[in-house]
Amino acid sequence: MRALPLVVAAAAACALVAAYVALGGTSYEPSPVANPCAPRPPRTADGTGEQIEVVLLAAADSTACRLGVSREELVLALRSVDDLDALARKEGKSRDDLEEALRAGLVRAVDEGERQGLIGGTTAGGLRFAADHLPLGLLLSVLRGASSILG
Amino acid sequence: MSTRTRKALVGLGIGLALADSSVVTLALPDILRQFDVEIPTVAWVLTSYNLWLALAAVPAAYVARRRPVPAFAAGTLVFAAASLACALAPSFGVLVGARCAQAVGGALLVCAALDLLTEIEGSDTRAVRTWAAAGILGAALGPAIGGILTETLGWESIFLAQAPLALLTLLAAVRLRVRPMVEPAGRPNVPANLALLLLSGALTAALFLLVLLLVDGWRMDPAVAGIVVTVMPVAAIATAAVADRLGNTATRAATGVVLVTGGLTALGVLPGSAWWWTVVPQLLVGAGLGLALSALTERALHGRSPQAVHGGWTIAARHAGVVLGLLLLTPVFTTALDRNEERALRAGAAAVLDSRIPPLEKLGVAQDVLAIVRASDREVPDVRGAFADRPDTPEYRGLEDELVSQLDRAVTAAFSRPFLLAALLALAALVPIIVSRRAVTV
Repeated sequence: MRALPLVVAAAAACALVAAYVALGGTSYEPSPVANPCAPRPPRTADGTGEQIEVVLLAAADSTACRLGVSREELVLALRSVDDLDALARKEGKSRDDLEEALRAGLVRAVDEGERQGLIGGTTAGGLRFAADHLPLGLLLSVLRGASSILG
Repeated sequence: MSTRTRKALVGLGIGLALADSSVVTLALPDILRQFDVEIPTVAWVLTSYNLWLALAAVPAAYVARRRPVPAFAAGTLVFAAASLACALAPSFGVLVGARCAQAVGGALLVCAALDLLTEIEGSDTRAVRTWAAAGILGAALGPAIGGILTETLGWESIFLAQAPLALLTLLAAVRLRVRPMVEPAGRPNVPANLALLLLSGALTAALFLLVLLLVDGWRMDPAVAGIVVTVMPVAAIATAAVADRLGNTATRAATGVVLVTGGLTALGVLPGSAWWWTVVPQLLVGAGLGLALSALTERALHGRSPQAVHGGWTIAARHAGVVLGLLLLTPVFTTALDRNEERALRAGAAAVLDSRIPPLEKLGVAQDVLAIVRASDREVPDVRGAFADRPDTPEYRGLEDELVSQLDRAVTAAFSRPFLLAALLALAALVPIIVSRRAVTV
């Protein structure tokens, strides 16, 4: 067996693979989502809508952190009770754990919104009542329409 | 008829039969839609052909050695008739059945063709080289030709075009006398055939996965993707022209395997999702294909008689390798696709939540994107649809581009593991080559 062609082929193969790795080939994948327990860079909010959004996202972060999931997984699971159940199964938690964390997170968000003067006292009271007492399915429907209520 | 014409016609027959192992790759989405079948089911259009070619090759070779010319004619006729049946198949079951018949005809055609070429060329060595080269060209050009035909005339045109071309090759057998082989067939060259099996399994990735990545993953036009993947056969032809200068069959086989391994590894670590990233890896895979398959085929047939029987063993090994590749890589690929779909969803959700579009619009955009993703049913979703009726502002355009980018990253990452696994398969082919290098020096 002649060594030269083999050596040239191996060198060409290694050079190509090394170049692709150096150009980011091993990390070309969906961006990892941020750790909800770690502080995020501060974000300026213009107008009431964006301020409310910042408060809601912070609440989503703290709830996700408590549950040990990402903020994005939590938000995606808010589409329906079935999605929420699927997330609970995946994370080895009970529906009650998830429901409790979600209600607590919402109340914290409303409190924070009221504290910053973003939500009026009456609206805040109504939202706290909804977070504490509405059945889960109905609460999720309210959440999906929350932006319009808050707006 | 001149020797050159006869040789070209026999080569055309071999190329047609072996192109069929990959020619419908780009037609699979259309076939899936027409017959309303699931993805694992539609893969049987490919798997059935390769499986039956692998199973029928050695028995066909035993038939071909006794009556080469009638075997070639019968194989060609069965192949042509089955091709027509594929084109006109009224149901998916008939299509798969016709593909099996096509494979049996193809096995007879290809094995008998080796004895015909020995007679036409007047030399065993030259016959084997022509036979191997025609097969490599057919297999490598298959996806490209199939893609272009599917895009321009529909998937049925692939089979409709094959039938008359196959019948044309019958002219090569007119007034050709080939002496039947009566001596007993010796044992096959196990290391060379094992290396062929492993390498063919790896090349399945290069041919099938690359086409899937370009068309279904990166949403390229099938005809354009067909042109992009011609880099491989072009590299194979160019390398075959200088192959002899590189040394004996062991050197060429080992060099080819190293190039294929390198090319597949590079495809497993692509740094972007544009077709040009695949060009250099394709050059390596094509060059390796041109070197290794012909060298291993020569090695498997060297000093062994009758050639048709040992040619049959190489066909069986190669197509068993393709089946192995399909069976091994498909579950790895689908698992990776599911995993990356979830990662892309999370990354997409993060992009929507962190975007600068109006807060009240985020929920609507997210719901539209999710609806498109859920409706895509294992196809890569076109999330740009979620932005069709939205304002044309930098914020929306930025979010749209970010979502498309995350999807491209997810799809490309999903193909990474199958390509790397295929690279390992190719590398494993070095073992039998090295083990047997002292046994044969050709």
